[in-house]
Amino acid sequence: MNALDFSIVAQSWPYLWSGLLFSLSLTAAAFAIGMILGTCLALAQHFEIPVVAQIIRGYVAIIRSIPLILVLFWFFFLVPIVLGHLSGNGRPIPIGATYTAFITFGLFEAAYYSEIIRVGLRAVNKGQFEACQALALSTYDTYRHIVLPQVLRVASPIILSQTIILFQDTSLVYVLSLTDLLGAASKLAQLNGRLVEMYLVIAVAYLVISSATSQCVAILRKRYAVAAAR
Amino acid sequence: MPRATVSNATRPAEIVVVENVVKRFGAFTALNDVTLKVDKGEKIVLCGPSGSGKSTLIRCINHIEKHDAGRIIVDGVELTNRIADINSVRCEVGMVFQSFNLFPHLTVAENCMLAPIRVRGISQSEARDRALGLLRKVRIQDQAGKYPAQLSGGQQQRVAIARALCMQPKIMLFDEPTSALDPEMVKEVLETMVELAKEGMTMVCVTHEMGFAREVADRVVFMDRGSIIEEAEPETFFKAPRTERAKAFLNQIIH
Repeated sequence: MNALDFSIVAQSWPYLWSGLLFSLSLTAAAFAIGMILGTCLALAQHFEIPVVAQIIRGYVAIIRSIPLILVLFWFFFLVPIVLGHLSGNGRPIPIGATYTAFITFGLFEAAYYSEIIRVGLRAVNKGQFEACQALALSTYDTYRHIVLPQVLRVASPIILSQTIILFQDTSLVYVLSLTDLLGAASKLAQLNGRLVEMYLVIAVAYLVISSATSQCVAILRKRYAVAAAR
Repeated sequence: MPRATVSNATRPAEIVVVENVVKRFGAFTALNDVTLKVDKGEKIVLCGPSGSGKSTLIRCINHIEKHDAGRIIVDGVELTNRIADINSVRCEVGMVFQSFNLFPHLTVAENCMLAPIRVRGISQSEARDRALGLLRKVRIQDQAGKYPAQLSGGQQQRVAIARALCMQPKIMLFDEPTSALDPEMVKEVLETMVELAKEGMTMVCVTHEMGFAREVADRVVFMDRGSIIEEAEPETFFKAPRTERAKAFLNQIIH
């Protein structure tokens, strides 16, 4: 076996960088969509809105019991066919790999984040709601200023763990022929026959990003420890 | 103006009228045909064994518990299911809880400012001035920037009193405000309440602090098993309770 030669990494840096940017932007978008949508899903269940709450429970149960890679396939192949039928002419309307990735990840993560938030909502002390009532705060103000901030603080370590998993899961987009960090590295590795170096380098990249995020969790925890201890 | 018995006629001085109120929790009747009238400026101490319905009664007055039958009229507004009525009553009724229920993610000042800004619609700076003024009054102005968890129990409860006062209520309800406190902190909270009473605030307090009852109460109302059994001036009630149940209760809490 040849000695390790990392010069390949330096040469192909721009390509790896663009892969990393794709992974990060997919993570960020799925986080944003997932958190906003997930919070809405959790609140709808929390308020037990008739019918809607049941539908959401079903949605969350289904999403959480099938692999993400399968959802990606479904979305990529089935949604164009459904759209084609809906449009009337019967021909599939392709939505493209990138859109598929962003939408699927957003919807998928929404199910996971909604469960985290739903549990968090249940953990808020009954007395907090009573204090809001006694002060005549509206339901909107109660949730916006009192309940959700506490839920997000309590749940932030779990939310960030889920986001780290999300970041690692973005590598699944290779099934859609999209080039994320892992995808870029794989292609370069095959091309140059430098598999070991490439996979070592991106392993380090994933490690650094994930553990840096974990550090953020620790810092957040410390910062809110005062407010959370009661 | 303590009264041994309460007449049924509505008089202009009455700020809280509870009439024939019934509250059930499933099969359990927490309040059974309770009638209580409170005059403006009057201080009432509600006492009784646990489960007697005293907390439920004051929680009905600001509609944290919804009564099943009877009428509750607060400052001329009857509590029905109308949200507007409920909120207008809640604006006039401050409440202090046994477990403080401060907002842990907000500073002491923010705890006091949120509702006046969001509900009363006053400006940030006015809310801050009001909050700091009332925090000074409960002798805790130095802690305005701290979070509740950084304060002692007694300090937290005084913040809770200030927070309720920031809404400028006409009536204050106290639900066992000193029961969750370490003994050495009871006094500072009671002193704050006595001060408030002396300023003429209308107060309904669920408490077993009989010293407090003696000092400020116009009337002591004794409840048992969901009914008002006895009401009298503190001296009369403590020295010569009329009912056996009140005697038994007093024996228990004094020993």
